[in-house]
Order: sequence, then structure tokens, then C-alpha cells
Amino acid sequence: MKKVILIADDSPTIRKFVAFSLTMQGFEVVAAKDGMEAIEQLPAKKIDLIITDLNMPNLDGFELIKSIRQNQDYVELPIIILSSLAGSEEIEKGMSCGANSYLVKPFDPKRIQYEVAKYLN
Amino acid sequence: MSIQTENMKEIFGKIDDLKAVFKVGERILPILTSLIDFMGEIIPLLENINTSISDSTNQMPKVSNQINNVTSATELATTEILDLVDEISNELNDIEQAITKILELNQTRDDKFNEIIKHVEKNDKVIELLNEYKTISTYDDTFNIVREVLAKISNDAFKITMSLQVQDITSQQLSAVNHLIESVNTRLTGLVKEIDSSDLKKEFGSMKWEDSESTHFDGNASYIDREHKQQEVDQIISDQKQVASQEEIDKLFS
Repeated sequence: MKKVILIADDSPTIRKFVAFSLTMQGFEVVAAKDGMEAIEQLPAKKIDLIITDLNMPNLDGFELIKSIRQNQDYVELPIIILSSLAGSEEIEKGMSCGANSYLVKPFDPKRIQYEVAKYLN
Repeated sequence: MSIQTENMKEIFGKIDDLKAVFKVGERILPILTSLIDFMGEIIPLLENINTSISDSTNQMPKVSNQINNVTSATELATTEILDLVDEISNELNDIEQAITKILELNQTRDDKFNEIIKHVEKNDKVIELLNEYKTISTYDDTFNIVREVLAKISNDAFKITMSLQVQDITSQQLSAVNHLIESVNTRLTGLVKEIDSSDLKKEFGSMKWEDSESTHFDGNASYIDREHKQQEVDQIISDQKQVASQEEIDKLFS
């Protein structure tokens, strides 16, 4: 059975690109256009890993991670931040919210494949 | 002295005062004339500035909307390109699988040839012909070359998608520009409001901005030096992890 990855990003290009990079590795990718949609999608399908942007409408990446971590069912769920924000403040905030990895945009697909494999293989 | 004489003196005194005023007036008059001339020149200039600011401010939402249109168009185009690259990759994958299947069938064919040769051991001519036929019908090397080319095309397609991430970065930069335009527009609107509020109400009431709250961006987003950027992030995370482990060590000794 394919492992399912949820990508939350308001950019359709990035959603598509992440899906493109990971489906060829044998993963199933579901997409959400913001944090709120990601929260709504979580109970609908068994999600094995989340990749999230930080700057998003409705619910940003920080709040999304915090909200996921508050739920006991998702305490161990691997979360990768994928953002163009690369300041130490954002990185520190993101990691302290409960993210497992931090990748910066534009990203190397091989790097994202490596990070995903680290948690799912 | 009679009252009339006193009145006359007072009148003459007032006239002297008036003379003094006129003398001062004579001196001030050219200055006042210059000032009025200057005002006469400056008022049309101020009106021009006001009109220019109003016109410029009026154009700003159009510029902003145009930028949003450009972002939407490039986003759509990029998504379409990604879809096509995705299709190409899938088709390349299909070809690769077909070649693998052909190579497997070739192996089966070789095994069958060897079996046939065993059964016709006594007929050298048949063996020779069969070997010739086997050599002619073997395309393994060609297929391996095709496979290498396919792998290269697949890799190039992947690189194309990687470069398309520039669209996301430019859209963030354009959103930052839009945000700046909105800020300038707000300031200018406040500035010209004092001069002619009625006209402005009329002009700005009809203008529509796209909801800037719905766009989220990083104004410092950059496509250049991306590898270095990730290395910096890795270093920060690595430093943070080291700090955490130090805390753990301290806890052990406390």
C-alpha cells in the first residue's frame, strides 16, 4: 500500500512540483491549499507525512503544525517545512512548533525525496 | 484753544498716520505684487501636482491588478508545463518498461535458439544460419543506447520542473511589489484628500483593489543561490540541535 503524503501550500506550482517529485518515488500525494484545508483533510485519509509551507492564508504553517501536534493521534506524524523563509527566527520557530525538517524554496527534488525517505522508509 | 482747533490737530495727526501707512504700503506693494504673481504661478502648478497625483493614484489599482493577472497567467502556464512534463515522464517510463520487456523476451528467444541448436547438431549449415539469424535479430546494444537516451530525457524533464519553481519565487516577489503599491496608494490618497476630497471620493469610490489579505508572500524570496540557502538552513538547524544536546548534558550533571 502506498504511503500518503499531504502537501499544504497556497502555490499550485509548488503543490504540483512536490507531487511530481514524490509520486515518481511511489508515494501518493494529496494536496491542500492552506493550513485549514490540511486540517480538514487529516481525518479523511491516513496521512503518513506532511509537507507544509509557512506563509499561507486562513491558517499559516506555524499554526498548522501547532494544531497537529496538539492532537495525540498526530504527535509522531513527520512534518517537513518547505518555505522560502530562511531566517534563523523562522527556522527556530518552525522547529520549536514541532516540525521534523526544514527545507527552503526553491528546493532540490532529490533533497525532498531524501527527507521523505528518512521518515517513511 | 478751541475744540475745533483740537479736532483739526487730531485730524492732521490721523492724516500723518495714514501717510506713514501709505509709505509703508508703497514699500510693501511691490512685495505683495510679487507674492500675488508667485501665488498665481504656483496655484496652477499645485493643481497640476494634485491632478498628477490623482491620476497616478487612479492608475495604481490597475497596475496592481495587472500584476495579479501576470501572476495568474504564469501560474497557469507553469501548471500546464508541469502537467505536460508529468505526462512526458510517464510516457518515458512506459517506453522504459516496454524496452525492459523486450530485453526479457530476447533472453527467452536466446534460450530457445540454444535449444534448437542442440536439436540440429548434425546440420552445420542450419546451425550457421541460425547463428547468423540470432546475430541479426539481436538489438540489445541498440536498446541499451535507447535506454540511456531515455534516462537522459527523463533527467532533463526533471530539471525543467526544478527550474519552474522560479514561478513561485517571482509570484512572491510580485506580491511584495503589489503590497508596496498599495501602501504608496494609501499614503497618496491621504495626501490628496486634503486638497480635493469631493473629486477623490468620486474617483476612488469606483476603484476596486483585489483583496491583498488573500495573498501571502515572502518579499525576500530569491531563486538565486538556492543551494547555499539550504546549506545555511541546515547549519542553523544543526547548531540548534547542538545547543539542545548541550542542555541535556548539563541536565545530567546538575
